[in-house]
Amino acid sequence: MGPEEIARRTRATLCLDCGKCTASCPVTRVDRTYSPRRTVERVLLGRPEELIHNDHLWACLTCGQCTLRCPSGVDYPAFVVAMRALARQADVEGAYAHNAVMQQLMMIMAGPLKQQRTGWLSKGLRTAKRGEDFYFVGCLPYFDVVFADLGVVSTTAARDTVRLLNAMGITPVVSDDERCCGADLLLNGDEEGFRRLAELNVQTIVASGAQRVICSCPECANALRNDYPRYVGRLPFTVVHLTELLADHLDLFAPDSLDEVVTYQDPCRLGRYLGRYDEPRALLQATGVELVEMERSRANALCCGSAGWVACGRCAKAIQTERLRQAQATGARRLITACPKCRIHLSCALHDLGGEVPLELEDITALLARALKAKGKGRVTNDEG
Amino acid sequence: MTVDFQPRIVVFACNWCSYAGADLAGVSRLQYPATTRVIRVMCSGRVTPGFILEAFRLGADGVLVTGCHPGDCHYISGNQNAVITVDRTTQLLRLLGLEPGRLRLEWVSAAEGARFAHVMSEFTEHIRKMGPTPLKPETCNLKPVTR
Amino acid sequence: MTRIGVFICHCGSNIAGHVDVEAVAEYARTLPGVVFVQRNMYTCSDAGLSEIKTAIVQQGLERVVVAACTPRTHEPLFRQACREAGLNPYLFEFVNIRDQCSWVHMHEPEAATRKAQDLVRMGVAKARLLEPLEEQELPVEPSALVIGGGMIGMTAALNLANRGFPVKLVEREAQLGGLLLRLDRLYPTQEEARPLVEERVAAVLAHPRIEVFTSAALLEVKGFVGNYEVTVAAGGQSHTLKVGAIIVATGARPLQPVGLYGYDGQRVITQLELEEVLRGWRGVGAGRLGTGKLGVGKLGIGKLGIGKLGDGGTGEQTDNPPPNLPIYQSTNLPTRVVMIQCVGARTPERPYCSRICCTTAIKNALEIREISPETEVYILYRDTETQGTRYEAYYTRARQAGIQFIRYSPQRPPRVTDERVVVYDELLGANLGIPYDLVVLSTPLVAQDGAQALAQLLKVPVDEHGFFLEAHAKLRPLDFATDGVYVAGTARWPAHLEETITQAYGAAARAATVLSKEHVVSSGVVAQVNEALCRGCGRCVEVCEFGAPVLVEVAPGVTVARVNPVLCKGCGACASRCPTGAMTARHFTDRQVLAMVRAALSEEMR
Repeated sequence: MGPEEIARRTRATLCLDCGKCTASCPVTRVDRTYSPRRTVERVLLGRPEELIHNDHLWACLTCGQCTLRCPSGVDYPAFVVAMRALARQADVEGAYAHNAVMQQLMMIMAGPLKQQRTGWLSKGLRTAKRGEDFYFVGCLPYFDVVFADLGVVSTTAARDTVRLLNAMGITPVVSDDERCCGADLLLNGDEEGFRRLAELNVQTIVASGAQRVICSCPECANALRNDYPRYVGRLPFTVVHLTELLADHLDLFAPDSLDEVVTYQDPCRLGRYLGRYDEPRALLQATGVELVEMERSRANALCCGSAGWVACGRCAKAIQTERLRQAQATGARRLITACPKCRIHLSCALHDLGGEVPLELEDITALLARALKAKGKGRVTNDEG
Repeated sequence: MTVDFQPRIVVFACNWCSYAGADLAGVSRLQYPATTRVIRVMCSGRVTPGFILEAFRLGADGVLVTGCHPGDCHYISGNQNAVITVDRTTQLLRLLGLEPGRLRLEWVSAAEGARFAHVMSEFTEHIRKMGPTPLKPETCNLKPVTR
Repeated sequence: MTRIGVFICHCGSNIAGHVDVEAVAEYARTLPGVVFVQRNMYTCSDAGLSEIKTAIVQQGLERVVVAACTPRTHEPLFRQACREAGLNPYLFEFVNIRDQCSWVHMHEPEAATRKAQDLVRMGVAKARLLEPLEEQELPVEPSALVIGGGMIGMTAALNLANRGFPVKLVEREAQLGGLLLRLDRLYPTQEEARPLVEERVAAVLAHPRIEVFTSAALLEVKGFVGNYEVTVAAGGQSHTLKVGAIIVATGARPLQPVGLYGYDGQRVITQLELEEVLRGWRGVGAGRLGTGKLGVGKLGIGKLGIGKLGDGGTGEQTDNPPPNLPIYQSTNLPTRVVMIQCVGARTPERPYCSRICCTTAIKNALEIREISPETEVYILYRDTETQGTRYEAYYTRARQAGIQFIRYSPQRPPRVTDERVVVYDELLGANLGIPYDLVVLSTPLVAQDGAQALAQLLKVPVDEHGFFLEAHAKLRPLDFATDGVYVAGTARWPAHLEETITQAYGAAARAATVLSKEHVVSSGVVAQVNEALCRGCGRCVEVCEFGAPVLVEVAPGVTVARVNPVLCKGCGACASRCPTGAMTARHFTDRQVLAMVRAALSEEMR
């Protein structure tokens, strides 16, 4: 796909030059030289190479704030991602974080491997090899290793998810053959890699007999539901995020289980992309916590600042710091995230801030698992799965 | 696992100790199999999990990270970074289902020509016994990434 | 595409005898970007070098790859050739096809040739991505700072001053001389210590190029090799000194064995205290110690917890003064002296041997025997540390002088009661009770007061015992990892005077290597920060042993790292730890290394 085709497909050709995108962009707020409007204009004026060879191509977080407000409905994130795919063909890439280890892992997973990635399962969790529901774990076991020194155990969310699914009467399939969903490869312009991973995942899911895939990570949920069909055709199963499912089972929780004040980070993928703002909130309320909203929430929520494990630098940190301060301003001591990546990125910034911002980060699955445990037993404090 | 399986082994060697040890093996005319390809770095601490994974991704049957003995690092503590890197990468290899034995960390000093030759021979045999890597470059024919 | 030239060396038959050099050359021609390939008999010869230079100019080469012996010997040579031909020397890559190929696969020419081809492919892949790098030149301030005015500090200062370098000598006490001032005699010659020190002090004070600051305190150290800026408080003023190199010669102090073996400073004393007592016994005068300006008052004895000697001394009192020392006048010499070795040394808390205590004990024992041949001297020891011919002979001399050596085991240390020292003799299998008049405890040297604080000022490390830690025990024994700072003497670890004096000369020589240059040149192979990608997390600062990266605030609330290229050693540890890719290890970038990995494994990845 050439630049003109990309512009057409993403409706960039309808750009009015109004600048609402730039005014909304969290990156622009920190880096005044970045402009979604100018980015689009470069291509529309027939100068795509100016974009391709510019670091700014990799600055976009694909948070979707701009698209939401664009009067012409330009899909800027899709535009950027497609341009990145073009850049790759010209041998241009972004500055990968963590010495590109995440990208390496994703690419290796596209090969003929027999992974051993389900060691995070603990006693008491019921899973199966075949079944109707497939729990798509995502890269959590790998995050545990790569982000060990952040003190974030990502697989806790996996254990809590299974716990919650079991409570709903679901015994999910958990498979060693699951691959990374590939969202970040796509974000970095590697369509071929994404397609390969998508094919392998669909194979694995179908082989398990599952009709429904449940994700605890909104990035995975979004990739499977909204991006996979474009590359592998119509999916023979439905895809849901855990909160969508749990929202129909509010009776699992009692409104007096937890007694704390929290605030909530809407993940870009769960919020603006999948449109789920109410479900997580309903769940939080069902446990009895008091939710104090940050000044920017729901569709207006501020992105956690990093995307695709690329171009994560000063800008990202500034956005993360701002978001943490917004959380702090609510007076809540705990910030609930519903995405393992939000959790990692915000933890990283929190860590660098020293003790300056007195916040705890917790995944929503952990909070809900606690509430589950506490039901009828009075208050229970945070514990690790 | 055929008899004529020639392992392809990537070796990271640090300029001050293991690379020097490798040179000494040459000066001493010690012979070892031609299965290894050495990449010189200034310090074993320069090696990242990404380097090692790239080697495996592209079909390396084995990867050796070599450096100065603990306490002897020319840069004081660089080899300690190598320990962390290899440890972390080993955990990742386990998750990926690649035998952790395909990755090894060995200390070789500048004076240990014989040891270097021995390590090359012994690791080659070790990998030969393990057989070829399940990852073949053809199946992972994705465009390489990095800046 | 970048124009690459490849030169393949035959090295006589060293390479050509086992590798098909022609096949390697043929192969090199097929690699993308390679526009010129040449084989040389000896690329390092004048002819070979001039062929490289000619090709650079005539072929417009932008990168040069030489496949030959090993970069560890000849990389500088070929880099220089590039430089002379007008090509940045860092645009050169060396491929090792001899030491790590032809010489080690001598019986497998096919495999060796294939390997050589792979290695050339790898070298070309890296060369394609090489960037020109700049070296930095900074002027050097040709003067030195010596911290510590004892024998070692003075020796180093004199040595440097005699070479023509101005020296600032900073001493914390009111007078120069250090620990040696407290000694009576020196081993193994039994000569007097005082004259040696006095002579050196006089030389220092008289030297026109040495500026001495006594009763001084070091407040701050800024800068880097060749360009240090040091703030010293002395004489009620603050002095800012600009120096190019620093020598640490702050010595050590003997452990005060409080709580051990009934130490009371009266009948149970330390070897150092014994040195004072010996002077008294020689009839120098009750209570009068030494002569002239090195009198008691200025010795600062008080600070070391000795207190007064005799009844007329002018010794200053201390914070914890033990009661007055034994009143051993020359007419009242002891009948029996028992020395105990390894007091507070070679224990779990302090597992090291302090090297000098055995020879010190022997020295003082011999002195006692000389002053008072009737006095019995016992040395209770665990092992006797008397190395080399000289000290072996010394030990023999002690035995011949009738000094009794009794071995004790650490499981059954001696006990000191009011009247006896009880020691279990392993050979006899029985306890010996030795009535004593004086017990002398040999304690180890421990880290000097304030060493830790000084270490932090200088940003140099100390070991677990508080002694300064050198960069490398064998390869760089007098250097700190931080360039331009050196160490000598017991500040490093306990050693004999002849050893520490040697170190003083050595440290002076090391400092002179910096001071005698007009410029310091930093290598181009250094780390660099892309500030837009930097989160200011500080991992690079944590991991660097050389203090090269520092965090700076570039905007309110925005901190990024910056690397001082002069301090950076190019190891790349920071780049490996950097979570965002902001830190680049130039000449060994992620991209360059990954390109080599790919080239190693794949024909397609050319």
